[in-house]
Amino acid sequence: MKRGDKILIIIILAIIGISLFQILKPDKTNKILVIRSDGKVIKQINLNTSKDTEFVVKSREGHLTVEIKNGKVRVINSTCKDKLCIKEGWISRSGESIVCLPNRISISITGQNDQPVDSITY
Amino acid sequence: MNKKNIVTALGYIFIGIIVVIAFARISSFSNKPVTSELYSMNTIIDISIYGPDKEKAMNSIIKEIYKINSLVNDFSDASDVYKINKNAGIKPVVVNPITIDMIEKSLEIAKETNGAFDITVYPLSKIWGFKGGKYRIPSKKEIEEALKLVSYKDIKINPQNDTVFLKKAGEGIDLGGIAKGYTLDLIKKTLSCYSITSALINMGGNILTYKMPPHGRYWKIGIKNPRGSGIAGVINIKGTKFISTSGDYERYFIKDGIRYCHIMNPFTGYPSNKITSITVISDKGYLGDALSTAFFVEGKTYALKNAKKFHVSIIGFDRELKHFISPEISDLVTFEK
Repeated sequence: MKRGDKILIIIILAIIGISLFQILKPDKTNKILVIRSDGKVIKQINLNTSKDTEFVVKSREGHLTVEIKNGKVRVINSTCKDKLCIKEGWISRSGESIVCLPNRISISITGQNDQPVDSITY
Repeated sequence: MNKKNIVTALGYIFIGIIVVIAFARISSFSNKPVTSELYSMNTIIDISIYGPDKEKAMNSIIKEIYKINSLVNDFSDASDVYKINKNAGIKPVVVNPITIDMIEKSLEIAKETNGAFDITVYPLSKIWGFKGGKYRIPSKKEIEEALKLVSYKDIKINPQNDTVFLKKAGEGIDLGGIAKGYTLDLIKKTLSCYSITSALINMGGNILTYKMPPHGRYWKIGIKNPRGSGIAGVINIKGTKFISTSGDYERYFIKDGIRYCHIMNPFTGYPSNKITSITVISDKGYLGDALSTAFFVEGKTYALKNAKKFHVSIIGFDRELKHFISPEISDLVTFEK
């Protein structure tokens, strides 16, 4: 075997290694919290890595406060009348969402893959 | 074959593999949907469309939704519904043919459900505070008076000149129990005019699954847990279907431990309370939407019996949150523990 062959083999093995790694790497389902105000995405947070936090989301109609704790999400305060968004409680799985209709704010969890549901009927 | 040739052959094979992987990545990238979230029809609407014409289809659909909203939104004084209600007992009103068609379909289901689905419950919704204002429990007398104004038979349609007339002053219609499903029917038609491989529309809980999902064989549709957060079950849906749910957790108030929801029982004048939620899977959007209301009013036994008659499938939750389901779909639904 010539030197050139060895180099070729090494290159090929390297390419195989990299592509196998790409294909087989454990695709951790990143849960992304997507926050929309008046239909536009204003914030995206990776729930797998997010620290516990609280923040305010504003829209033209009003505002609400979102709490993130241990990868779970809920609304703890809202300027809306019926407070259905607060009554909704915690959400944590991809596909789940909280919508505050009066404020036109939606908070939904999406997954990169293996989403348990495509949509929810209610 | 010498070593060199083997190496060369292997090299070609692996280059081939890499090209295939690259193509797979690119195609999965170009198969990204166009998505939109909008507020109309008194609710939130989420749309995802896949396929070569996805942008064009999205534009048409959004226009269509705004158009229908402008006809049926009873809070807007420019809408057909507002005009019909305002002229109840006074004079017939000329309206858009779409409004006529929607009312005719409402009457068809009203007849077939013996009035369990009735768009003339508007006076009831009003006195209970579900049409703006404050939630309240009306007096018995108020309910009796309002009930006299509830009858789908008082809707007079003249299709020759596109007019609608309500016989008595104080009567009113509310298309909230059919308009979303009806709009999904129109959207399905629009999608079929374009080159679309797959689409998912959620209009305030009323869902249209269009063709095959971009992943796997089934669309996975969660059913909202009637009490507490999250979902109570998942339905596997194959291909194009409409899924509608009526429940007592969407708009409601609780007074002295009793829950009063927005779905009026047109026979008693009180909010319906026989079950907590019912989901209807149908091939027609307007039918599933209206039937979910009728079944919610009438309860479990009626729903199970009549689902067959209307060629729809149902999944419901009674007051103890025990589920009931059409036998033909029991293999397609998994319930949460």
